[in-house]
Amino acid sequence: MTFRQFVIRNVFRNRRLYAAYFLSSMFTVMVFFTFANFAFHPVFYDGSINSNALRGMGVAGGLIYVFSFFFVLYSMSVFLQSRKKEFGVLMIHGMSTRQIRSMVFLENLLIGVVATMLGIGLGLLFSKAVLLIAENVLIISESLSFYMPWNAVAVTFLSFTLLFFFISLFVAFLLRTKKLTSLIKSDQSSKGEPKASKLLVAFSVLLLTIGYGLALTAEGLDVIRFFLPVAILVTIGTYFLFTQLNVFLVHRLKKRKTLYWKKTNMILLSDLAFRMKDNARAFFMVAIISTVAFSAIGSLYGAQSYLTKGLIQANPYDFTYNPVGEEAADKRKVEKVSGALEEEGVEYQTERVTMSAYNGILPEESVWIIPDSLYNTLASMTDSQKVEVGQREAVVIYGNLLQINTVNQSRGLMEEEIPLVSGETISPSSSVTSNVLPGVTDYYVVSEETYESLPEPETSTTQYVWQVESSGDEVVEVGLELAESFPPGSLTAIDAVLYQINKSYGPVLFIGLFIGIVFFLSAGSFLYFRLYTDFEEDRKKFSAIRKMGLTDKEMNRVVTKQTGLLFFAPIIVALVHGAVALSALSSFFDYNLVQEAAYVLGGFAVIQVVYFVVARTLYTRQLVRQLSR
Amino acid sequence: MIWIEARKGEEIMLEIKNAGKVYEGKIAHRALTDVSLKVENGEFVGIMGPSGSGKTTLLNMISTIDQPTSGEIVIDGERPHQLKKQKLAEFRRQSLGFVFQEFNLLPTLTIEENIVLPLTLDGTKVREMETRALAIARKLGIEDILNKRITEVSGGQAQRAAIARAMIHEPRLLLADEPTGNLDSKSSKDVMEMLETMNKEEGATTLLVTHDPQAASYCDRVVFIRDGKLYSEIHKGEKRQPFFQQIMDTLSFLGGEHDDLSSVRHS
Repeated sequence: MTFRQFVIRNVFRNRRLYAAYFLSSMFTVMVFFTFANFAFHPVFYDGSINSNALRGMGVAGGLIYVFSFFFVLYSMSVFLQSRKKEFGVLMIHGMSTRQIRSMVFLENLLIGVVATMLGIGLGLLFSKAVLLIAENVLIISESLSFYMPWNAVAVTFLSFTLLFFFISLFVAFLLRTKKLTSLIKSDQSSKGEPKASKLLVAFSVLLLTIGYGLALTAEGLDVIRFFLPVAILVTIGTYFLFTQLNVFLVHRLKKRKTLYWKKTNMILLSDLAFRMKDNARAFFMVAIISTVAFSAIGSLYGAQSYLTKGLIQANPYDFTYNPVGEEAADKRKVEKVSGALEEEGVEYQTERVTMSAYNGILPEESVWIIPDSLYNTLASMTDSQKVEVGQREAVVIYGNLLQINTVNQSRGLMEEEIPLVSGETISPSSSVTSNVLPGVTDYYVVSEETYESLPEPETSTTQYVWQVESSGDEVVEVGLELAESFPPGSLTAIDAVLYQINKSYGPVLFIGLFIGIVFFLSAGSFLYFRLYTDFEEDRKKFSAIRKMGLTDKEMNRVVTKQTGLLFFAPIIVALVHGAVALSALSSFFDYNLVQEAAYVLGGFAVIQVVYFVVARTLYTRQLVRQLSR
Repeated sequence: MIWIEARKGEEIMLEIKNAGKVYEGKIAHRALTDVSLKVENGEFVGIMGPSGSGKTTLLNMISTIDQPTSGEIVIDGERPHQLKKQKLAEFRRQSLGFVFQEFNLLPTLTIEENIVLPLTLDGTKVREMETRALAIARKLGIEDILNKRITEVSGGQAQRAAIARAMIHEPRLLLADEPTGNLDSKSSKDVMEMLETMNKEEGATTLLVTHDPQAASYCDRVVFIRDGKLYSEIHKGEKRQPFFQQIMDTLSFLGGEHDDLSSVRHS
């Protein structure tokens, strides 16, 4: 048996030991390959996608690569940590440090190369699915057909062979072989129980409070200005939260004997206190990575929703023809829109909207007034509430636009009076908020009769609006076609506008989503890895207590709590961080992001629950199998 | 003490009736053949035999960790092997006490916490646990190290803590598997004296599996097994020294490899 044969056999015959490390390496390769496969798709290179999006994809690829580097490095160091005793045994039998290093280097290279190849293979299998998803998110007119991505294969293979080569070299070089005795005894938890410093606990709480406080109270541009300091404060705060506050809390719990000495709590908490230091770093990384994922996806989704919702509110009708400047409404253009819709067989309602503005109500500006009949027709088209206006009264309508905070900026129409020709005045009786009239922030609705007795208006405009029964692809088509033959800005076909926004926003959203999910899933594998690092310790512990009569049910309960803490402690912190970040974003946009945040954070929480259930089930099953042998 | 009057019930604490064990596998292996043994309430019985004689198999069956393939085992009138998994764990927890060669104490717990663990699992009140732990720790001379961790105490102290843990819930049967296997001779002597005290003063029925003739000489009776069958048994007279000699003689008749008599067993 040559040295190389020994190394190779050592890996293949200890499959279970290497499995977790191997799988997370393979997973990393697969993720990168899937992304490369997507980014190198020929469809993007025929010039139809703008160069910014392509550059964005390049940056994203680089980001995934850098992240992969750290992820593999971390996985490897955890893996080596768990093998200290093995190294000790080998060294007793005369293996030199040099040989250990060369062994670690060789086996890592072996694992790396195999993981790279299998990762690419698996990535190929999944690529069709990913391309299909991308197609839908991206709104690409051509379909992203499956292709043999030689480019992606080559890039992935080269980058990861290089990555594994350097990491293997790096780790082998850094591998410290301490005293033999300490290697041999490394599986005994002879290290003392970690202690928390009260000062650092207070420091952590202080940092988090200041960070949260700044993020939550900032408004407008301050949100951007505070971004970096808040990120730094919260990151440091989170680090101490997991290294100090956690230990502190567990200590507190342990002091309460009625709780600590109750049933299986003792087994759970005592271990927790010991593992907390080991876990702390993993927790910290997972929390920060997940926070980045949550915030990135939340921001992208929020921004998109803000943009589209704002547009939809500002344009309540599918088509709006608003003659530009002094140009009078062109009858032929109006008929062109109706004609195009009829040609496609789309059912619609249309209305001519004439508004007049009057002086003498506000000192400086003129105010729009429309009759209730027009308002109510439009209200029925947009499914808004109708108004009832009495003979001698008026109703104030406030526009409800996302971008403008109308209630604060309203000009106080409720306090004003409308003069009639006869010299009488009419006072507003109530106010309503609606988006029935596009582009107008506040105006009066009066009864038909009152409208007749208004003085000469200052100005008048006429718009035409169309509302289709059900919008679909053909409405988008009509919009795209018509936009070309109208002077710019005169026809707003909202469906077509949204289509175009989504199309150009799609790649950004997809890349953001992709990276976010990659980060999040990697965070999950971190945790899974962490769980299995303690497997041997758990096995010994439970085997000892089982002989004394710990039931399987009790053991399951302890494992569930243990795993639950591992999986949810960092994620809950990340969810809170994410919620704070999104609420800061929300106050920056001055737009309520609660729904979007709930979707994104809730979605991640659900994935995490699934992840937890799977990991726990596998872990318990393996534990029981090992114990009943 | 509380646990003296608790020992009523059956005169016979443990009865093994024609127990046999066959390990199925590629090559079926008969580990035990037709073993019958009665242990009286309050007795201190040693089980000796060379490696592979079936000692551990027998102990595992008594401790309900393993099932006999034939015959039956009755502990204090109960047949634990007929119990369901959950009930069986409860039976182990309440009726049996274990002392192992490798201590099996949890390194993350203090000595005191380790000792009260069986009571904790049963949901005993904290105050009661504390009193009982202190009482038994005093008896075993470890009351000063209750707040220390396993890594901070000697092997002998750790094993005494293990005895305390095995006894704190007043088990009906105390099972000790090579309790002196990892200890030096001074600590071995201490531990055996403690087990003897527990047996004589608390009336704990004790079953001891050992390689160590010195340890076995503390028993009232030593049963020898060989090749999965009972070989012979000897009773202690008045003094320990002649009993030790008797054990040595029987062992040489038993004729295992010389190595088997060393006090270190690799498990």
